[in-house]
Amino acid sequence: MSGSAQGSNDMKKAVVNDSKNTEQPLALEKKPTTQLEEDDEFEDFPVEDWAEEETQIPAGNTHLWEESWDDDDTNEDFAVQLREELKKLGK
Amino acid sequence: MAFLRSQNDVETRLCTAVNVAIQAGDADQLQSIVLLEPGIGNVFPPDHQELIGSLQSNYPATDDDAEQRLEELIKRVVTETADSEDEEGRPVQSWGSLVTFLVGWMTFLRDMDTNNLVLIFELMTDLQPRANSALQHPTKGILMLPTIMYYAKVFARVAVGLDKKPHLIQHLITEAEEGQRESLPEKAANIVRQAFIICLNDRNTAPGGVRDGKPDGKKAGIYKMANICLKTLFQADKLGSCETIFTNITNSSPPLHIYPAAERTTFLYYLGRYHFSNTNFYAAQLVLEVAWLGCHKQCLSQRRLIAVCLVAANLILGRFPTEKIYKDPAAEGFREVFVPITQAIRKGDLESFRRITNLNLTHPSVDFMMRYRIFYPIGNYCEVLVWRSLIRRVFAISGVVGEGDKAAALLDLNATLHVFRLLEARAQIKNAAMAAQDGGPGRRNMGHIFQDHASTNKSTYIDPDFVGMDGVEPSNLEMDLLEMECICGSLITQGFINAHISQSRSALVVQGVKKQGLAAGFPVPWEVNKEKNMENCNDEVLGWKKEAGVEGGKVVRLQFAAPAGS
Repeated sequence: MSGSAQGSNDMKKAVVNDSKNTEQPLALEKKPTTQLEEDDEFEDFPVEDWAEEETQIPAGNTHLWEESWDDDDTNEDFAVQLREELKKLGK
Repeated sequence: MAFLRSQNDVETRLCTAVNVAIQAGDADQLQSIVLLEPGIGNVFPPDHQELIGSLQSNYPATDDDAEQRLEELIKRVVTETADSEDEEGRPVQSWGSLVTFLVGWMTFLRDMDTNNLVLIFELMTDLQPRANSALQHPTKGILMLPTIMYYAKVFARVAVGLDKKPHLIQHLITEAEEGQRESLPEKAANIVRQAFIICLNDRNTAPGGVRDGKPDGKKAGIYKMANICLKTLFQADKLGSCETIFTNITNSSPPLHIYPAAERTTFLYYLGRYHFSNTNFYAAQLVLEVAWLGCHKQCLSQRRLIAVCLVAANLILGRFPTEKIYKDPAAEGFREVFVPITQAIRKGDLESFRRITNLNLTHPSVDFMMRYRIFYPIGNYCEVLVWRSLIRRVFAISGVVGEGDKAAALLDLNATLHVFRLLEARAQIKNAAMAAQDGGPGRRNMGHIFQDHASTNKSTYIDPDFVGMDGVEPSNLEMDLLEMECICGSLITQGFINAHISQSRSALVVQGVKKQGLAAGFPVPWEVNKEKNMENCNDEVLGWKKEAGVEGGKVVRLQFAAPAGS
């Protein structure tokens, strides 16, 4: 709710840059060529059995998942945009 | 192979070798004799090469007595097929089904043509059930296990290969019951499934099918056979036909953990994929995580296939991969695909989410998601998480928390609708950079109009039956307040928002926020999903046998087992 004019300009710039990084405006008319291909084969394992020591992934097997991930950063671009937009509504 | 070359004819020599293998109880040796295919360099071992020539000239297909004569020869030489006694003098019944099988094997070699897949499929359709019958012998049948495995793999490969050449197989596709067409892979899987059932129902084992912590008797073959059936059905896209296999296993298998790692991991992969495709994402992640953690660290291609589905299931349930997963060498490229999705979910960035999952399939992540068959599940089932985050955000910015202790926290649904409409509209603009500059009606950058049809096009279609009627307007698919209420209602019902809708105030009344903060109104989605699933299944997963059942589980009654594809 406290977005200033300065903040708004920064936001605009940042968003435009962001978009340029991820999208290619000139390649937009590319026709979709992706089709559902044959299922990737799950190959037979080269060995029949192995011990637990053979299974460890390099980084270890704990804390694989992030469960609480709400983004409360009110200064990042998207949050600022939303605030600006709601401000226009007098919210 | 040097099979007793002193014998005169090659048929006798090979049958003698079969007899020696059975006497020695050497199942692998038996399998190495009853070959189906030429080996490296497309040549059979000399004995087999000689056998094929001899069969063609001495036992030709045109001779009506050929099979009868072969049968007599086999009975005479493979004495292990006759009635006998075991070491303790108990009678052992004859093994006539092995004789029939060996006749079938020889005629297969005589008649087959490696360039004619249709012929090979037809011959295998006859030979595989003969091998299954030989497996059924109560004590000696187990010697057939490696052979059946080997045959089933060849059979499945031929069936899947032919399935991709429909012009060759029109005449082979039969009408199954109720007019359904049974594809060749299903036909092959159904025949192989009989061997799986024989293994599952072996009564000649220690109680529960476990001896010294290992599967006993033919029960050792359960997961080997199941995995071949599953692989065949998956390659033919017949996932629905896998259910009877999982039900049978739940009813009659010894626990999975006593089987070798390769069988466990392969089985859990297919089981996870099956539950994923049935939208049982919670069950899917349970089994896939065990498969992933148990997979050999050097088997990257297998671990990658498991990981894709595991990550997708977790995303849908509201858990995001950490660096540990992204750093797995098997997870190469995951970061580029999954981080934009998790970012969109975190922020409630509906526009980005729509761009990633747009059905025009233009986003760079689409190839990956389509290849691994997670595009539609993610597009369909992660949407609610994006909605939740967006509403949470709008609430954090513009929600009104009343003064008094008991005052409600209100979120104006009109404001929420405005934001949803803006982001949905921006997602329609193909050029993301221009969309970012779109300030909404009155402040709109019109540049995209000249090159972008979809963003400005509004439907004018009215069904001819309704043309000219009062009050009928074309639907332009824009969201309205009612739809906003539906979205909120859906999130409330699923437990993702702790609130109710006040239609008189056009507001979402969020509970618990005043005293306990945002988390009370917007609980952690993973916790919500976990609790819901724990109530329903308590971590029990169809097809995943963790403990031995009472006295080895129930007996599978074949008459109730519907064929795959039914």
